[in-house]
Amino acid sequence: MTISRRRFLQVGGAVVAATVGCDRLPDSVLELYSRGEPELDPFQPPASGSMDLVAHALNRLSFGARPGDYTRIRHLAPVPDAAFEAYLDEQFRPRDIDDSIAERAVRRFESLNAPAGELFEYKEDFLLGEMTSAALLRAALSERQLYEVMVQFWTDHFNIDSSKGDCRWLKAADDRLVVREHALGKFPDLVRASALSPAMLWYLDGRVNRVAGDSGGGPNENYARELLELHTLGVQGGYTQKDVMEVARALTGWIVRAKKESTFRLGSVEFAAALHDDGTKVVLGHTIPAGQGPRDLFHVLEIVSLHPSTAQHIATKLCRRFIADEPPLAATRAVARAFLESDGDIRVTLRALFGRSEFVASRGNKFKRPFNYVVSALRATGARTDAGAQLTDFLLRMGHAPYQYPTPDGYPEEASPWLGTLLWRWNFAVALTENRIAGTHVDVPGLTRAAGGDVGLMSHMLGRKPTSAELAAYAGSGAGLALILASPAFQMA
Amino acid sequence: MSATSGFISGNADESRSLVVVFLRGGADGLALVPPLGDDDYQKARPRLRVTEREGVKLDGFFGLHPHLKPLQPLYAEGQLAVVTGAGSEDTSRSHFEAQDLMEHGGTAGGGWLGRFLRYRPATNEGKKPQNSALSAIAVGKELPECLRGAPAASVMQSIDEFSLGAGAARFSSQLQKLYAAEENDLGAAGRDTLDALRRIEQLRKTPYSTASGAVYADDDFAQGLRQIARLIKARVGLEAASIDLGGWDSHFTQSTLIDPLMLRLGAGLAAFTRDMGRWMDSTTVVVMTEFGRRLVENASFGTDHGRASVMFVLGGGVRGGQVLGRWPGLQSGVLDGPGDLPVTTNYRNVLAPILRRHGMGDDMRLVFPRFLVEPINLYT
Repeated sequence: MTISRRRFLQVGGAVVAATVGCDRLPDSVLELYSRGEPELDPFQPPASGSMDLVAHALNRLSFGARPGDYTRIRHLAPVPDAAFEAYLDEQFRPRDIDDSIAERAVRRFESLNAPAGELFEYKEDFLLGEMTSAALLRAALSERQLYEVMVQFWTDHFNIDSSKGDCRWLKAADDRLVVREHALGKFPDLVRASALSPAMLWYLDGRVNRVAGDSGGGPNENYARELLELHTLGVQGGYTQKDVMEVARALTGWIVRAKKESTFRLGSVEFAAALHDDGTKVVLGHTIPAGQGPRDLFHVLEIVSLHPSTAQHIATKLCRRFIADEPPLAATRAVARAFLESDGDIRVTLRALFGRSEFVASRGNKFKRPFNYVVSALRATGARTDAGAQLTDFLLRMGHAPYQYPTPDGYPEEASPWLGTLLWRWNFAVALTENRIAGTHVDVPGLTRAAGGDVGLMSHMLGRKPTSAELAAYAGSGAGLALILASPAFQMA
Repeated sequence: MSATSGFISGNADESRSLVVVFLRGGADGLALVPPLGDDDYQKARPRLRVTEREGVKLDGFFGLHPHLKPLQPLYAEGQLAVVTGAGSEDTSRSHFEAQDLMEHGGTAGGGWLGRFLRYRPATNEGKKPQNSALSAIAVGKELPECLRGAPAASVMQSIDEFSLGAGAARFSSQLQKLYAAEENDLGAAGRDTLDALRRIEQLRKTPYSTASGAVYADDDFAQGLRQIARLIKARVGLEAASIDLGGWDSHFTQSTLIDPLMLRLGAGLAAFTRDMGRWMDSTTVVVMTEFGRRLVENASFGTDHGRASVMFVLGGGVRGGQVLGRWPGLQSGVLDGPGDLPVTTNYRNVLAPILRRHGMGDDMRLVFPRFLVEPINLYT
C-alpha cells in the first residue's frame, strides 16, 4: 500500500487524524482512505414510481442499497421478479460470495477470533468496542447481506447482554461460535450451540443451576424458562411451570470456569456430574430416564427444538422481521410448516417466507431500527468509515448499540419503541453528510454525479422515484442528501 | 400540546424528572452525615471527626458536615430526606465491583435506570412505550452503567450538542412538510420531534437566567445541574438525568480531598433546588455512592473502603426533615468485616419508592431482578 500523508489528508482524513493521531491510525482506516476519493462509477437508480421487487429485497434482505447494488441485481435477469430470485440464490450461498473487503475491514479486530479463554486477556471495554465496530463494518460492507441480517436476527433471538458477569469477555466467542456459525444453518444446531455457550450459561445463570443438595442451592430456572419461552416454544407454546422445573433439573451441572473463582481454563464449559440431578424427568410429556448425565441436555433440546410450537414461534418472529410488525397468520403458518418439514433448516424456511405473496406485497412498511438506519445511511451514501466511537455513539444515543440489550428478549423488532429516536436520526443525517463524524466520510458531490443528478440520487436512496413533495423538500432544505436521510420514507424499509 | 405528546414525554400527563447524582470513589457517610451524638464515632475518628459543636444539627443525633450547610434549610423545610446506613450487599469493597453491582441493580444486564425507562411504560396500562430522544441524559463524557439499556440515552455536556447545524431552520421546515403528510405513528413522532427541536432551539437562543436569584458555581457539577434544570424547565421530555461527582476515595488526607467536594455538592444542590422552585414538586434528586468508609481513620489522615454510607433524597412529596434508616450503633459487635458501618438499608429500597413515584408499576422485579424490595417509607 502506498499513500503519502499529504494525500491522506487531502482525501478527507483530517478529522480522523485529529482524533486518533496520524501515526496510530489503524491499518484498515488507511486502507479505506488510501483508495483516495475514487470516483464512484455512474450507476442506474430505480426508475419506477413505486418500489420493484429488487428494491424491496435490498431494503428487507440487506442493510440497504449501496450505489450500484440495484443496477447489478436488476441485471441478473430480464425482469425484476426473476432478478429477485437470482439474488436469493446468490444470498443463500454466502460462502460462495467473495467477501474480502469486509473481511479485510475487520481483520484488525484480533479479539474476534480469539478462543474463549484468551478473551479474558482483553479489557472488557476494548472487547465491546471491537465487537461493536465489527458488527457495524460487517453490516455495512459485507456482500453476504442476508447472512448478516440473519446474524442480527439471531443475536436478538438469543440475546446476551455483554455487561453481565463474564459475558463481558465471553459474548465475543458466542457471536463467533454460536450466532455466526449457524445463522443460515439448522435451527437445532443453533439452539444446541447456544445452550452450551459459556456466555449464555453466564447470562441466564445456567452455570449456577445445580441439583438441590448439601451445598444448598437447587435448580435455577432462569435458562430453562427462557429456553422454552423465548428460544423455542414461545410464551403461548403450551408448556407448564412443571415443564420449566423439569427442564431446569435436566440441565443441572453445566458449569463455566469463572474469572472470579478460577485462573485456568477460564470460560470453559464443563459437566459436573456431582451437581447434576440424575433422576427421571418428564418434559412436555416425554420421559427422560434416570442416569443419563450430560445426555439430558441433548434430550431436552431434541424435544423442544423442532416442536410445532417452536416452528410457529420462530416463523412468527421471522415474518415480523421480514413482512410486518403484525404478520398475517397465513404466512406464519406456511413458514412454520416449511420449518418443520425441513427439520429447522433456516434457508428452506426463509425461502418459503420470501416466496409468500405477503412478503412480496409488504413494501416499505417496516420502520428501520436505529442500527439498521445508521447502516443503511452509510451504505446508501457510499460512506467510508472506521466504525469508531464517534459513529457508535449514535447507536448508544438511539438505544440500539449491539450486545447491550439488558433482558433476554432482545431488542424489539416492532416500530413503536423506536419512534422516539428521530431527533438523533436527523442529527446523524446532518452530521454524516456534513462530514462531521470523525472517521467517517461521504463524498456528496461525487455520489450525486454518479447517480446522474439530484433526481437519480433521490431515486437511489428511496428505491423509487421521489414524489413531488420530496423533490420540493430536497430543493428547499439547503441540504438535500441529509433531508432524504431524515425523511419519513428513508426511515422505512 | 398535541394529542400525541406521549412521544415526547413518556409521562406527558404528569411529567416527572429523576436526577441521579453518583458520588464516585466511595463517599464517607460518616463525614457527610456524622452521628454527632455517638461517642464511639467521636472516639474512632480523633482527627477526622466532626465535633458536636462543628456539626450542623439535623435531629439531635445526626448532623451535616459544616461544608454541607447549604443543605440544612432544605432539610428544615422538609424537602430533603437523609437515609443513613445505606448501601449494597456487595462485600468486595472494590470500587469497580460495588459500582457495577449498584448501577446494574444486581447481577443483571443493563442498568437499573435504563431498565426503569424501558419497562416503566409497559407496566402502565394504556400508555404507549415511546420515549423521547431526550428522555434520558447523562451529563459528562460517557454513559454511566446505570443508564445502560435505556431506550434512548444521550451523553451531553451542553444542549448545543442537539443542534441540527447552521441550516437548521430551513432544514426543519422542510421536514415539517414531509412529516405533516404522514398520517401514521411515524408522522406523529416526527411532528413531536420537531416540537422538541423548536424548544431546544428556543433554549439555545435565549440566555438562561436562573430563578429566585439562584447562583451556580463554575465547577462542572454545578454547571451540569444548571443544564439539567434548564432542560427540565423547557419540558423537552427529560425523565432521567445522571450526573457524577467523583473523587471521594479518601485514603490519604481525607479532608483536603473531600472538603472541596462537599462544598460543591452542598452548593450545587442548593442552587439547583432554588433555581427549580416549584419544578421540584415534579422532580426528585437522589444522591448515592458505591460504599462508605471504615469507621476507624487510618494513619495517613484518611479512611479505607467500608460498607454503608448515606443517601440523600430531595424533591416533591419526600418525607423530608428526617434521617431515615436504622442506626445500629458502632460497637465492635455491630461492625461489619474489618470494622465498617453495616448496611441497614439496601439502596434498592430507597430507589424503589422513588421509581414508583416516577411511574413504575408494581412489578419492580423488572428493574431489580432477584431482589425482594421492601421500600422505605420515603413518601407521606
